[in-house]
Amino acid sequence: MNRQKAARLSGSILKYAAIILLFAFLLFPVYWMLATSLKMNTESSRMVPTLFPQAVSWEGYKTLFDDGKFLVYYWNNVVVSALAAVIICVISVMAGYALSRFHFRWNVLLLATFSFSQMMPVISRLISLYTILRRLGLTDTHLGLVLAVCATQVPFCVSLMASFFDGIPKDLEEAAWVDGCGRTRTLVRIILPLIVPGLLAVSVYSFLMTWDDYLHAITLVRSPSLWTLSQGLKLTYLGEVSDWQLINAASTLGAVPMIFVFFFFQKYMVRGLVAGAVKG
Amino acid sequence: MRNAPSLRRAGSPRRRKDLLFCLVLLLPAILLCTAFILIPIVDSVAMSFTGYKLANLTKGTPGVWNDFGNYTRLWRAGKLQSAVWLTLGFVSITVALTFLLSMSLALILNTDPKGARMLRSVMMIPWVIPTVIAGLLWSWIYANPYGLLRYLVSVFTSGRVTDFGILNGKSTAIWGVIIAALWKQIPLMTLLLLAGMQNVPDDILEAAQIDGAGYFTRLIHILIPYMRSVIAVTVSMCIIENFKQYPLFATLTNGGPMGATTTLAVLSYDEAFVNYNYGSGAAVTTVWLAIMAVVVLLFNLAFRRRQS
Repeated sequence: MNRQKAARLSGSILKYAAIILLFAFLLFPVYWMLATSLKMNTESSRMVPTLFPQAVSWEGYKTLFDDGKFLVYYWNNVVVSALAAVIICVISVMAGYALSRFHFRWNVLLLATFSFSQMMPVISRLISLYTILRRLGLTDTHLGLVLAVCATQVPFCVSLMASFFDGIPKDLEEAAWVDGCGRTRTLVRIILPLIVPGLLAVSVYSFLMTWDDYLHAITLVRSPSLWTLSQGLKLTYLGEVSDWQLINAASTLGAVPMIFVFFFFQKYMVRGLVAGAVKG
Repeated sequence: MRNAPSLRRAGSPRRRKDLLFCLVLLLPAILLCTAFILIPIVDSVAMSFTGYKLANLTKGTPGVWNDFGNYTRLWRAGKLQSAVWLTLGFVSITVALTFLLSMSLALILNTDPKGARMLRSVMMIPWVIPTVIAGLLWSWIYANPYGLLRYLVSVFTSGRVTDFGILNGKSTAIWGVIIAALWKQIPLMTLLLLAGMQNVPDDILEAAQIDGAGYFTRLIHILIPYMRSVIAVTVSMCIIENFKQYPLFATLTNGGPMGATTTLAVLSYDEAFVNYNYGSGAAVTTVWLAIMAVVVLLFNLAFRRRQS
């Protein structure tokens, strides 16, 4: 009996030790970013790092707001991500509804194509996408960038949306049909209000994913006034001699709002992510 | 009985109308994916067999067939081989470690430790942080001389190694990227595995425990077989994700030092957008696509065979 108890005790000690180790790995870098953003560079460049900033300095944030560039990048990114999220939502509501409700033979083919295109590395198509967009005069524009990032997210978002539509009983539409309500009106008036959780999941997911985009921006957009955040961070602030307070302040401003967005919509996001992956 | 034919006749135009409606709904998605994904992929495979450089782009002249010139040139320079091995090494190590650590974390969180709900949501923070910012964050930790890692290494070696820069060494640089990739990817995989774990019936696990099956026996013979499809999906996702990895390399190493982290992603980007040799870049991505397709296919075949 005693041995069993000892085994259980050591098991649970092991368990909590593992939790502490893994969570330290996952969360400490985030703390370190916050702490460094509040430290003067002279404090950050000591041979023995300080765990807490000894003299809290807002210098990094002040510089970012004053230099004008950072806010431009930030605003560009908000515009691109928001626009992309809206477009992705509209497209995936339409396509997701079609895939969930109408079972035609070519649906399978379409789904296969979608998952195939989801697999493709972005760079593999960027080279020729760049040449195509250039011929259309869409390189170095936000429109070209938005359409390109939409295309990368649409395949997953469509299947995500379809899984939400699958959860809504078909009887509703049948009833609406009997009442003489057309297909389009049924979709907009009856189904759309029920799909709000799915819409939230898709829009937040696509906002976060397009906020994360780096490759499209860096190849398709060249003028600094149109740069997005990731691109601006990499190209402006990460140089030969790095101002770590500034970089960490910029990183904090780029990351923290997304963390809050995620926490706020967590319920929908997690449900969507799990449905999108585990079901398959 | 008499109603049946009329119903069918009424149903037929409705079905045709549905088909049209369905097509209209699908059209934007199909157009976008065709124009921005499928055509570029086909186009870039075709481009890889031609000499296509900056001049072709500015003058709008099509590339000229060059007898596999892009491939042979990359092969003779040894760039292609080293990039292929590096990519395969990076992907296999990262995927194996991500799976091991995520599975362990999911198993632990599944036992409902204190604060499990809170842990489960703060766990997702690295996943939400944009990849470039993740790269910046780790490059500050790795920074030599002021980074945290250098300090930790000097403490653990009691002052013998005082200038450890993980990204400066040819053999260690890839590990720096692997650690950052793990940090970014463990959260999502843990979340998905945890969700899959919740579908494993409790009574079977309990019955096995009563029969005297130990923890690892239950894990290998019950839990993992039940989670097979979730594991297959999440691991394939992880393989694809790491094959595609570029932003971390771009922010952490840029392919260096001395090409020690030049994976296929980095090589193709450099060929196309740094050297402006689009044909050559397309050749790298074609090889890359082929390898990725083979790996994912093999993984799925192996997994399915074991299942049956």
